[in-house]
Order: sequence, then structure tokens, then C-alpha cells
Amino acid sequence: MEYLLTLAILAALSAVLAIGLNLVLGYGGLLSVAHPIFYGLGAYASALLTMQANVPIPLAIVLAALGCAAASVPLALCSLRVSGDYFVIVSLGFQLAVLQIINNLEITGASGGLSRIPTFAHGSDRNLICLGVLLVAVAATLVLVRTLVQSPFGRALTAMRNDEEALSALGRDPVRMKISIFALSAGIAGFAGGLYAHIFQFLTPSQFGIETSTALLTMVVVGGTATIWGPLVGALLMTCVPQAIQFLDLPQAIGGPIQGMIFSVLVLIFLFLRPQGLMGGSRGGGGLDAWSGRRPGRSSRRPDVIVERLAEEVGS
Amino acid sequence: MLDPSILLQLAWTGFANASFTCLFAVALSLVLKVNRIWNFAQAGMMVCAYGFMYAGTRWLGLDVLAALPIGLVSTAALGLALERFGFRPLRRRGSSSLTFFIFTLVVSQLCTYLAELIIGTESTTLIDNVVTPVRLIGDVAVSDWDIWATSTMLVLLLALAVFLKLTRWGQRLIAVADSPDLAELYGTSRDTAYGITMVLAAILTTAGMVLLGTKAPTVPSSPLQEFLLLALLATILAGVGNVFAAGLAALLVGIGQGFAVLFMPAQWTPMLVYALMAVAIVVFPRGVKLPRIRWRGVVLGAG
Repeated sequence: MEYLLTLAILAALSAVLAIGLNLVLGYGGLLSVAHPIFYGLGAYASALLTMQANVPIPLAIVLAALGCAAASVPLALCSLRVSGDYFVIVSLGFQLAVLQIINNLEITGASGGLSRIPTFAHGSDRNLICLGVLLVAVAATLVLVRTLVQSPFGRALTAMRNDEEALSALGRDPVRMKISIFALSAGIAGFAGGLYAHIFQFLTPSQFGIETSTALLTMVVVGGTATIWGPLVGALLMTCVPQAIQFLDLPQAIGGPIQGMIFSVLVLIFLFLRPQGLMGGSRGGGGLDAWSGRRPGRSSRRPDVIVERLAEEVGS
Repeated sequence: MLDPSILLQLAWTGFANASFTCLFAVALSLVLKVNRIWNFAQAGMMVCAYGFMYAGTRWLGLDVLAALPIGLVSTAALGLALERFGFRPLRRRGSSSLTFFIFTLVVSQLCTYLAELIIGTESTTLIDNVVTPVRLIGDVAVSDWDIWATSTMLVLLLALAVFLKLTRWGQRLIAVADSPDLAELYGTSRDTAYGITMVLAAILTTAGMVLLGTKAPTVPSSPLQEFLLLALLATILAGVGNVFAAGLAALLVGIGQGFAVLFMPAQWTPMLVYALMAVAIVVFPRGVKLPRIRWRGVVLGAG
């Protein structure tokens, strides 16, 4: 029972993170892989606030979330100058740089990490209380993101993803929109990080590296980018499926890589066979190709398309 | 006051140690130029090359040079498979850069996990003793590995330059890089060109992994978390399409890292790469343009 509760806690934490990432990635069209670092920053900030400054846990989590929202601004500002692959590289560098700092600071426990972090739940029902708190957090995040993407702001967000210049021409400010969704998404990740720190009471920098980025991307892709329920479904599936190998009772040195391989193979299957993800529809209802700008049905090798493209090249 | 011989030694060590990152950067830049893909899966190719050569040297008892063809063939096969079964279908589907990014990153992760499963997560090398004889040239200590690594790098770069400039298929690769549609109208198969580029990248990557595996202990996650970033940085500094400038940038970054130990603790030197990367991308997203200098009718420093 305790095992299942821990699994549900992990799935709920992943769901909050994946829903937040989907806001930036799926709806905003900003290729950031640095999401786990805001999760990590939130976790460390909240833990240190309670351990070093005796701040009450709920306040520490909220302050950590706000701190993460503020910390996302430099990255969001980078996205104003570069986009696409370049922004992926910026976000990757940002993530590794912050990890490097955490890895070398004494206050964060360096590579050994932080332990004995205060918790908000005690007693025999501890895991049940934690799960209850997390389910509320998942529901709140889901409602928040759904309300946002269905509002005029959300429609403008999707328009920005599809054609930023056209949106600017309509008088909207993409700068403010990018900074806003980055801050919101990073704040959500920081909030989840705070909860993680006070639930599991132990942190190491390795928990917030590229592997976590890939796992989160997997959840969003498998569930369906730019869909409301996709990241939630993806998080549940991707947390539970790799656990199947736990029952094989393999040593960590073997079980870890096999779990990673299951993640990787699942992503590859979905990339090629179902890019819209589990919850994406076949007609533009989300998925990886929702914002690719491609024109379905137009083979890139049709002579008229080639001539048209050559004309564009010559014209430019 | 720093002794000039110390500075010279740091410069030489940085240059020699950057020989393999130079090859990685040239491979990455070449694929970016011709195939138009930021090939994050190159880290997977590095792991593949190392893994197969490790199996050859450690399990089959082969010499490194005898294991080299095994690494080369397997990495070239992976490169071709990536192009044929990965990039081509995604390209034809008109997939977004996000899809390409996820695909290449996940392939690298998959290769890393596979290597961790087979080789383990401990640091390994391709040979038992990575210490090679050292001789003094002037006041600079130069090891046998330094000479081997720098000469391998220079020979491979020269061979690549000759291939691209003087051979028919090299010129076809440049044509596809300039305009795939136009090249195809003139009878050059872009798919073949993309495949050849992946094989060239595999050759450079495998050679780089031989140099790395005979120099320092490495773990399967190093290519993705360390060396790919250096290659990315060099490619960005050089600007998209400037293949050999990417190699030069990698060498300069390596020399810079060598000097960095003079003014920062060793554990913070990776920050230099991240900081440089951020500045390079945000300030020089199209690469560093050197000023054009005209000297006796010859234009120097064209970007």
C-alpha cells in the first residue's frame, strides 16, 4: 500500500510539472528543456528557507515558487532574441550552469545534497496526507492552465506560437506574453519542487538533470502536447509503466538504465507512430505537429512545391 | 608574474586536449550545414563508437587501432540508420524542430542507457595506461599522445577539406547544403548526400572518441553532458555552415579552458563554457563575424 501511495505521489508531482511544461512548450511553442531546473531551484529554495531561516513550510513553498518565477525571467529574455533550436541550447546551458552551481555550493550540500528537510505531514497517514495535498495541486494546476488557454490570452498565446509577427501586427505584445508564461510555468515547477522537498526530505543535484528533462518531455509528448489532459495522462503512464521492472527485483545498476530505455523507446514509438500523443486529435487537436507550420498534404518533393520554394529563395 | 613558459604550456595543453572536441565540433557543424539538423544524436554516436571500441579492446583483447574499424563501422551504421529511419521520415512529414530535437536527444539518451547497461557507470578508458612518454620541446612538455592527437586531427581536417573541395561528391554535398532543391534538379540525390554526411560525421566522431578514450577516463553520460555542449558552443561561435571555423572555435575554447585554471578553481571552469554559450547565442546567434581585412588584394577574416 505504501509503495502504491509513493507511486501516486510521484505521478502527481510529475503531472504538475508536465502540465506546467506543456504551457510553455505546447501552447507557447518555446522549446525549453530547463523546466527541471526550476523544479530543483524550488526544492532547494524551500528546503533552505525552512532549514536556515525557520520559515514556515507553506510560506517557504510559496516564496520558492515566486523565486522560480523571477529566476525564469533571464531565460525568457533570451527567448526574445533566439528561438527554436537555439533556444533549446540556451535552456540546456542554463540548466547545466545552475546545476553546476548547486553542485559546488556548500549551502546546498554540494553533490551530496540536502537531507533532514522538515516535512508538513507526520504519523502513519503521512503518505495519504501528502497525496491529498498533491491531488489538490494537480487539480488547481489543471484548472489554472485550462482557464488560461481557453481565455483570450490563451488564444493569443497559440497565435504567437503559430505566427509571432502576425500577432505583433495585431497590436499584441509577445514579449510580455513570453515572460508571463515562462514565469507562470517556472512558478508551477518551483511550487512542485517545494512540495517534493518537504515530502521526500532529501535532495541531490542529480535529480534535476537532463534525464529529468527527457522524462518530462516524454510525458508531454506521449500524452499529447498542446492538449489539456495529455500531460496528466502522460505523467501517470510514464510514472507507472517503468515501475513494472521493479517487480523483476533487478539491481539498481541494471534497473536504472532499463527504466531509461523504456522511456526512450516509448518516446520514439510515439514520435513516429502517434505524434499527436494519446490525447491529441487527428485534426489539429494538439500534438507535436500542431505548431510545426507544415502544410499537410503538400509533399515536399512535388515539382510545383519545389519550384515555389525555389522562387521564394530567389525572391529572398 | 607569470612565467611565459607556463603560459605556453597551458596553451599547448589546451590545444592538444581540444583536438577531439575540434573533431566533434566539425562533425556537428557539417551535419548542420548539409542535413540542416542540430544533431544532438551525435552524443549517441560518440557513445556507440566508444562502446564498440571498448568491447573490442577490453573483451576481445584487440589493440585500439584494430578495434577502430569496429567502432567506425558501427557508428557509420548508426549514422546512416538515423538519417534513413529517423531524419528522412521526419523531414518528409514536415516535422517541427521540436520533433527533431526530441528525437535526437532521445536517441542519445537511449545509447547512453544502453552503454550504462553494458559497460556500467564507472569511468573507463580504451587502454590500460593513459600516461604516455613526455619530451621537452623548448620549455614545453609535449607527450606522445599530444603529438598523436594533434596530427590525427590535422590529417582528418585536411582530408575533409580535400574531399569537400576537390571531389565530385564533396562538391555535391556543398551544393545540397546551399540548396537541396536546386541540387536535386541538377541530378544530385539529396538523400545520398545526407547519408554521406552522416558517414563523414561518424568518421570524425569515432576518431575523436579514440583520442578521448586514450587520454582520460570517461563515463557513458560524458558525451551528452559535456562534449556535445562544447561542440554546440563551437558551432554557434563559428556560425551555421562554417565547418572548419567550428573546429577553430573548439580549439580556441580549449585553449581558453586551459588558461581558465589561472584565475578560477578547476571545479568552476565548466561555467566558462556555459557563460560563453549564453553570450554566444544571445549576442552572436549567427556566429562571430571577424572584420574583413584587405591586405595586398587578399581578403582576410570573412566571418
